[in-house]
Amino acid sequence: MRDETMLELLRRQGVSRRGFLKFCAATASMLALPPSMAAAVAEAMATARRPTVIWLSFQECTGCTESLTRSHSPTLESLLFDTISLDYHETLQAAAGTAAEAAREAAMQNAWGNYLVLVDGSIPLKDGGVYATVAGKSNLQTLREVAEGAAAIVSIGTCASYGGLPYAKPNPTGAVPVSEIITDKPIINVPGCPPIPVVMTAVLAHYLTFGTLPELDGLGRPKAFYGESIHERCYRRPFYDRGLFAKSFDDEGARNGWCLFELGCKGPTTHNACATTKWNQGTSFPIQSGHGCLGCSEPDFWDAGGFYNTLSTPITPVTGAATAALAAGAATGLAVTLANRRRKANARRAHPEVTIDDLEK
Amino acid sequence: MSGLGDIGIAVQEPGGDANARAVLREIETLLERLLASGEGGSIDLGGLPLSGADYELLEATLGHGEVSAVIDSLGPTDVIETAIPGVWWLTHCNAAEEVMAEFIEVGWCPQIVLAAQEDVSDGLQRLRAALKEDGNAG
Repeated sequence: MRDETMLELLRRQGVSRRGFLKFCAATASMLALPPSMAAAVAEAMATARRPTVIWLSFQECTGCTESLTRSHSPTLESLLFDTISLDYHETLQAAAGTAAEAAREAAMQNAWGNYLVLVDGSIPLKDGGVYATVAGKSNLQTLREVAEGAAAIVSIGTCASYGGLPYAKPNPTGAVPVSEIITDKPIINVPGCPPIPVVMTAVLAHYLTFGTLPELDGLGRPKAFYGESIHERCYRRPFYDRGLFAKSFDDEGARNGWCLFELGCKGPTTHNACATTKWNQGTSFPIQSGHGCLGCSEPDFWDAGGFYNTLSTPITPVTGAATAALAAGAATGLAVTLANRRRKANARRAHPEVTIDDLEK
Repeated sequence: MSGLGDIGIAVQEPGGDANARAVLREIETLLERLLASGEGGSIDLGGLPLSGADYELLEATLGHGEVSAVIDSLGPTDVIETAIPGVWWLTHCNAAEEVMAEFIEVGWCPQIVLAAQEDVSDGLQRLRAALKEDGNAG
């Protein structure tokens, strides 16, 4: 089973070549690759083999796992999970106690040097790391041990990526992100509190498909999803460009859906895919609900100033020329610079736009 | 639900339909390329911040053409030729009929519609097996 390729697995399940092409097109779309890359995905998938995955939960709240298990294209995810071998995950696995730890050790031994480690949560270092232990071992010890045989590490969530909530001042447990402990393995950060489900699965799909990690930005995040700021993709951006801002949460500007910049929105300095991918089956995201972005996918987001304090400097000058340039850029480049992804189509089908007239019916 | 009108909520769609206009220009370019070189292309609608107004404009401009098909593999895929020949609207759904991906494809015929060699070859073997069973029975 472990040596079966993706294509063989799908054919064994009675999936035709058309189904395979569809799977590849959906995967390319999920990876935010241009549609012309679907053929490359198909070629890679035909030979990709099932990787072993070990998931380590440290100082965390399980929100990342909750988010992942609510991914919204079940066919794709279930196929992906059929295709990876998730050998250890404290919350999801059936085994407990000694049996669970034995499963982890066996998986490590069988795939030494080749398995993928997913970490959620930060790691406490203070007082010898006593503030978080599993099976009598400190998180620090476990991470070092498991990372040694890993091909790569994926830091899931802001805690594992940048320290997150446990790292916030005064950081009572001396929490640090994975990257401050492990320095000799490729690390990919998938921050967010929690990360968008499809971003997590896309990183796994990318590894599964190409056997490599996706292209990363300066903070170790996949560019396909974190390449642009919330502000750049925000549907309220036209109001920012016109200088129309809500000044309080109940004023005329707020009711009219104007830009939330002056109410502390961190959209301009936050890189994530919320504005296009959205949450809850593509229903909405914080700004669409009338609240500014908190900046949860950035380092130090708890200590980066108050959530309701206006960012110190505007990001782009609000001039006629800039606005015109932006509009021209959108017209020529938008359809080809497919940055982030995905679908409001379902939301459109399931949740048509609600107007005041509908509410009063 | 009386009184909501007094509160003065106005639900607006500030995004407009500028993105749909950009997509339509892209389709124009792809059609020109198809006619010139035979090479089409594809646009992933999931990757674009399209508003309700954008979708309305796309649907109104492209319309429904002569061909529609449903591919039943890993859930339904709707293949619809728009009223602009050579422009196809593909909606990939999973078994629960939730949309997984949505594309506008420009080409003579979407590749996913064509039968694939290995499926044809599998089918031929199944046909031969069936004929053999019939032969034995007769």
